[in-house]
Amino acid sequence: MIFWRKLLYLLPSYRRARERDMQEELESIAALAGPGVIGNKTGVAEQTRAVWGWDWFEHLLADIRYAFRAMRRNPGFTATAVLSLALGIGANTAIFNLMDALMLRWLPVPNPGELVRVNLRAHGGTEVSDSFSYSMATALADRKDIFSGACGFSGASFNIGPRASLHPVSGAYVTGDYYQTLGLNPESGRLLTRADDQPGATLVAVLSDGYWQRQYSRNPGVIGQTIRVNGVPVTVAGVSPSGFTGANVGAVADITLPVAALARIAPEEAVLLGPGNFWLRILARPRSGVSTAQIQAHLAAAWPSIAESTVSHGWPASRRKEITDSTPELVPGGTGYTYLREMFQKPLVVLLGVSLLVLLIACANVASLLLARATARSHEISIRLSIGASRPRLVRQLFTESVLLSLTGAAAGVVLAWPVSRFLLSILSGGENSQFPIVFDLSPNGHVFAFAGATAVFTAVLFGLAPAFRTTSIKDASHTTRYRSRALSALVSGQVALSLTLLIGAGLFVRTLQNLMNVDPGFRREGVLLVDVDGRTEGYQEARLTAFYQDLLQRVRRIPGVVSVSLSGHTPLSGWTWSEAAVPQGQPLPERDNAIFVAAGPGYFATLGTPLLSGREFNEYDTGAEKVAIVNQAFVDRYFHGRNPEGAYLTATVTRPPGTLRIVGVAANVINTGDLRTAPKPTVYVSYAQGQPARATIIIRAAGALSQIAAAVRAELQPAFPSSPLEIGTLAAQVERTVVQERLMANLASGFGALGLALASVGLYGLLSYSVVRRTREIGVRMALGAKQSRVLWMVVGNATRLLLFGVALGVPAAWAASQLVRTMLFGLTPADPAIIAAAILLLCAAGLLAAYLPARRAALVDPMTALRHE
Amino acid sequence: MDLLQGTLDMLVLRTLAAGPLHGYGIAKAIRGSSGELLDIEFGSLYPALKRLEMKGWIAAKWDTSEFNRRAKYYRLTPAGKKQLRREHSKWAEFVLAVGQVMGPAPEGGKP
Repeated sequence: MIFWRKLLYLLPSYRRARERDMQEELESIAALAGPGVIGNKTGVAEQTRAVWGWDWFEHLLADIRYAFRAMRRNPGFTATAVLSLALGIGANTAIFNLMDALMLRWLPVPNPGELVRVNLRAHGGTEVSDSFSYSMATALADRKDIFSGACGFSGASFNIGPRASLHPVSGAYVTGDYYQTLGLNPESGRLLTRADDQPGATLVAVLSDGYWQRQYSRNPGVIGQTIRVNGVPVTVAGVSPSGFTGANVGAVADITLPVAALARIAPEEAVLLGPGNFWLRILARPRSGVSTAQIQAHLAAAWPSIAESTVSHGWPASRRKEITDSTPELVPGGTGYTYLREMFQKPLVVLLGVSLLVLLIACANVASLLLARATARSHEISIRLSIGASRPRLVRQLFTESVLLSLTGAAAGVVLAWPVSRFLLSILSGGENSQFPIVFDLSPNGHVFAFAGATAVFTAVLFGLAPAFRTTSIKDASHTTRYRSRALSALVSGQVALSLTLLIGAGLFVRTLQNLMNVDPGFRREGVLLVDVDGRTEGYQEARLTAFYQDLLQRVRRIPGVVSVSLSGHTPLSGWTWSEAAVPQGQPLPERDNAIFVAAGPGYFATLGTPLLSGREFNEYDTGAEKVAIVNQAFVDRYFHGRNPEGAYLTATVTRPPGTLRIVGVAANVINTGDLRTAPKPTVYVSYAQGQPARATIIIRAAGALSQIAAAVRAELQPAFPSSPLEIGTLAAQVERTVVQERLMANLASGFGALGLALASVGLYGLLSYSVVRRTREIGVRMALGAKQSRVLWMVVGNATRLLLFGVALGVPAAWAASQLVRTMLFGLTPADPAIIAAAILLLCAAGLLAAYLPARRAALVDPMTALRHE
Repeated sequence: MDLLQGTLDMLVLRTLAAGPLHGYGIAKAIRGSSGELLDIEFGSLYPALKRLEMKGWIAAKWDTSEFNRRAKYYRLTPAGKKQLRREHSKWAEFVLAVGQVMGPAPEGGKP
């Protein structure tokens, strides 16, 4: 009641009416009883307005109005401060925006906080796996005593449309309880259910709302229609709610199919449905009213029987026991799943720390600007204090100015942050033209605005509060001046220390990237095109498939500009791995400790540019009954201790039972798996023609413009693949994708380093200019007494040098401590790399002295007469 | 005589229980009924009136005064009556309690 009446007083018109009423009443009383009765009429009115309860609000409005006027009166000051803050807050907001999208945003489903993901921790180990087999996912979904719903899901890519005009669409395979677990209702039609996820069920798909909009303009008639997925007719069952793009965040699932459909949609991958393939992530909703700890205990107790019934019986007992002995763990799942999180969590946290340093430098800039301005305003403040303004009231007003400055900075920062975070995302996606880009909605949302706002208030406290108290203190002037110049020097030295930390960090990350790019991976990455092909999608099998691939190679070889062509099961650093146990004949096969295997065609090493150390390449005749192999140097070192293994025999699990391979050559080490940091592993190359043909990559070494040759290759090969659009990439891009994280760090750390350096230079420049202006008279006197221009110049430069050296002395240990935190992200150097530290100090001092030169010159050019007349 | 903290509101409510009065009239009435002992300054009475009005315990209306002048008259609302009863019993308890503690005036001092 009273609240609503108070709220009414917020209306200016109502408040004005009450004000008039009050004045009228006071006059009527004065008329009745004489003006003496009322006493101090203004005071009474003021107290009465306080009763209305919004006087603080009116004061705030007055402060804001005053602050705006002050900002307008000093456009130079305002622009410098707002720009500094916009850069600092913008940098933080950009990183935060990405973190928010990647890690913090809930899935758009009801009660996302209830959802959990299931991980599997190896018995007594630190190894945690988040992937499960199809049978495990359905077994978990069956445990209604633990979960009200549980499902498995995985990203996928489908080729949609009639054979002539296929287009690739990113999608997902999900188990039957997916939508029920998430608690979603269809936008149109129906969603998938358990009945759809059965072998032999009618093939149905769910479209995303976005895809429905883009492809079908939200035409409800499409429900019940048939679309072709990988050439197979599938009925559209319905559309998922708008905003929902799958539990695999970052990869939009436009078409979602039940896992069981995989057997007919992609028969060549049907092996995924078996018990030996772990490829689904699990999302589950625990039964309501049960604590996470109870659920966890319940699940742990149930796990051995789930594992027992779902692990392949064909596996060795030790492998089976490993899975049964593992412990299932629950982790929060309301934000969905993305592999990006694991990959970029640490870099983003580090970058947020780095951008915080930039913000601190910006704050120091604004604080020193405010302190310098305090001198100019001391007159105004002392007048206001002497005519009765209270100090808290003045501090509040000065602080309002700071908050307004930083909110303006934050607003500009959010505008800056938006394109920056989009740019960062495109780095993560591996460039603008990647086929399945990482998709996040990066338009600023509530989180981001709240973050920017909180950062603004935090910075205002940081840079505004101390100057506000300082400005209104009524100590004697000389004391204040001394304090100010000392505080300003401390701020500038602090900035120097912070920006040195940033520069050293930037140096470490740039060197790390360079070191990685200089690693010799064992092949020549430039000038190589890669074409992923799978003839099984076109109906070729076995010997016909091998012949089909040979024909493709022949046709590519004829294209002008192609130097050599080969094929292999997979290519280095593609993310694919094949491993088998292999040892020299006569030795026992190890149970774990496998070698890397690559199925390679004739001319493989020549095409990749990998040197053969001895023996020969595979050739067209390596198709017979005697299987041949080429091993790498690491394999020779490991098993042959330097002896030439040519002609020796290997036992390997390439066939069941393990078969024999004759070694015909030794190749140089190649980094096949992991990334450029990984040491080459013992590797066995086998002849592609002697194995079971499946998918393959055609490797083309070309001379000339790769894009033209890629177009020619596409024109030549695409007609042979009417039901799947070909992807043609380059080996260089494939290698580049493994250093995305390092490139991100190198780019951003140097960007922030440059930003910090610029801000610190502006800070130094500002301080020196200010001190030159303040000491104009002193300088004039010195020059009048015979000081030379060079002497004055050196006085200012010496001052700058002192500040710089002090900052460097602070910054080197700070940088050392900070870089310990990123030690594991570095490659080929230690945090205390002397060359980088020296280079950073040099760069910083050069920039600092440049910033000092202008004010120093101005000091040297002071005309003694003018300076003395100045007072 | 100074007022005890918080008693002004109660006094205003009690005074208005007798009938509507304008602001100056309330001050005069309190002075009169206290035997000239309580002299409320109009400057502190007026904000108190506005506070009570805000709380909904009293309501105000422009009317014509005894000398045919316009004045704003305050009257007790039903909520105000309830509040007065509450304050009154609290006050009575308070007087009783303080009286018990203080007892008769101590001897030896001049009354």
